[in-house]
Amino acid sequence: MRLSHGFVRGETLSCIYHGWSYAQAGNCLRIPAHPALTPPDTIRVATQPVEDGGGIIWIPVGEPAAGPPRFDGVTPLRSMVVEADIAALEEAAGTKAAEGLLDYAHDGRTVRLLLAPEGKARTLMHVLVDEDSNPSERIAASRAAEALRRTAEHVAASGTAR
Amino acid sequence: MTRNAMIDEWYPVGLVSQLDAHGRKTALMGEPIEVRLGEDGSAKVTGGNGRVLPACIRYGHVWSSLGDPQKPLFAIPEADQPGRRLVDVGVVRVRCSPLRAVENFLDIAHFPFVHTDILGAEPHTEVQNYKVEIREDDDEVWATQVQFYQPQAAKSAQGGITTQYMYRVPAPTCSILYKTCPPRPGEWDVITLFVQPLAEDLCDVWPWMALFDDETPMTDLIHFQQTIFVQDRSILENQIPGLLPLDPGMEIPTRADLTSVAYRRWLKRHGYTYGAQLVAQ
Amino acid sequence: MKLYDYVLSPSCYKVRLMAALTGVTLDIRPVDFHPGAEHRGPELLALNPAGSIPILEDGDLVLTESSAMLVYLAATAAPQWLGNDAAGQAATVQQWLSFSQRLTASLGAARLHEMLLRPGDIDALRAQGTAALRELEAGLVERRIRGQRFLASDRPTVADIACFPYVALAPDGGVSLDPYPAIRLWSRAIRAIDGFIEMPGIHRLHELKPEPSPEGGEA
Repeated sequence: MRLSHGFVRGETLSCIYHGWSYAQAGNCLRIPAHPALTPPDTIRVATQPVEDGGGIIWIPVGEPAAGPPRFDGVTPLRSMVVEADIAALEEAAGTKAAEGLLDYAHDGRTVRLLLAPEGKARTLMHVLVDEDSNPSERIAASRAAEALRRTAEHVAASGTAR
Repeated sequence: MTRNAMIDEWYPVGLVSQLDAHGRKTALMGEPIEVRLGEDGSAKVTGGNGRVLPACIRYGHVWSSLGDPQKPLFAIPEADQPGRRLVDVGVVRVRCSPLRAVENFLDIAHFPFVHTDILGAEPHTEVQNYKVEIREDDDEVWATQVQFYQPQAAKSAQGGITTQYMYRVPAPTCSILYKTCPPRPGEWDVITLFVQPLAEDLCDVWPWMALFDDETPMTDLIHFQQTIFVQDRSILENQIPGLLPLDPGMEIPTRADLTSVAYRRWLKRHGYTYGAQLVAQ
Repeated sequence: MKLYDYVLSPSCYKVRLMAALTGVTLDIRPVDFHPGAEHRGPELLALNPAGSIPILEDGDLVLTESSAMLVYLAATAAPQWLGNDAAGQAATVQQWLSFSQRLTASLGAARLHEMLLRPGDIDALRAQGTAALRELEAGLVERRIRGQRFLASDRPTVADIACFPYVALAPDGGVSLDPYPAIRLWSRAIRAIDGFIEMPGIHRLHELKPEPSPEGGEA
């Protein structure tokens, strides 16, 4: 059963199916069907290191030498799934991504997009905006990102970005 | 193994009450089949190439097989007991292994979390020891002396009770639950899960019941059981791995899972592997 | 008030949920929708010729559209659920009430196809459902930017109750909610409302209950 369907109480994550709860290190703390049992250390779930960098949650692939990058002056606004690869997003934006960052100029302002591929044909796109932007500017950025997604998915569906 | 032993078993393929001459198109283990009412009033089942398949009518359902069943359909003697109400709960499709659907039915430890305030509730989560055996004479898996605290054990239950359960697996995708009958102490309510394997990862589930309950309207009985099963459905569709592992290694059983352990062992012994995976991946 | 109800129907659940949240006691009349198709029988057709459920009856008043039932319950028992009458908010509530019909026609039909074997073009239904979820996600993101957690304001309204069930049950029709973080936050906010009740397929937030203390545990 996927633990993402589960629930968090205090510092433990529990499975929705049988309520087995796990500590941060991945070891099982409690098996509700056997309340008196101390779960053996062999019962554990895989864990994944994570780091919060400026409101963005990062996970390492392999063993990176340095921590995650910091983006000064911007703050994360929203995350979106795009049914297109990064090449299609680049074509839609009319510019190339550098180190996973795409600066998309739209209506006289720039929206910064942090891109992470999810398989071959899907991209996770995190929208970053100026820290001191006001709500109207943030809404405009969110709508610009929607527009870019529409174009990129159209590009991907018509197969021109190859 | 060149021939899957499950080919020669009986499977539910429709409700008798919905049988008509027009026919119902469905599938059995990957093969398209059609189920219809014959002119003589019996059920007719045809396979993908038009060949006539074995068919029988029992427990509210039409049963068929792609192979050559060596035994008649398993007996549920209680189904013929006078005074019971027979409840056609209707079909629910689930994107899961048919064996996973049965295994979940055999499990009680999930009640407090998935059927909260109906079949279980925290803090009453403990599963007491119970007995499990493979009855060699009948070639069935049985779990007996199962008990669990239930806030709303049946539609007819008034408040929480400790419910007694017995489970029986007479066929690879069918299970029968015998359960404390609140209006008639001393008798067992019969609640079954009949599973039609459409594919290794897709099934139509036909719950059916034979209850002593003269009070509760039929629709309430149907809705109670549909509620329970649809609460399970999202769990079943998110299990990993999708196929039921028959070899130890992937999943860690506890004492509460002894019925599941016996079920898996029994499946493996018979080569009932449609919907199963043999080597831990 | 009498509700003709089916326990697995998200539209019926909207009415049960709204009643629970506004403190109205409903007289529930279960309808054998599946497998019995009782909603197409003479008694129910006499009340609602369209052959759909829910149906809400209160004296001479017979309502057959779930959005109207939500408005009726709120207006009767808890008008704060209607939102305020500022032009923008009143229109936004109406916008989402209408939008909820699209959820029924897409995600709802996909669920009936996948779960109860009803006919339908499943790929088209899922695509329409995905389009609707993206609109909802964008709407919720814009609300959050304005510091509001719900669809029309910072408190839940009938608009949220109208949209919540089919969205929460989208996975039943094979449409994942993983791509929609704002929808998931909103869904949690709704499930955390005092008096919230669940339906099959929508699990309770077990985190709202404390961990039971160990009884005689060895640990």
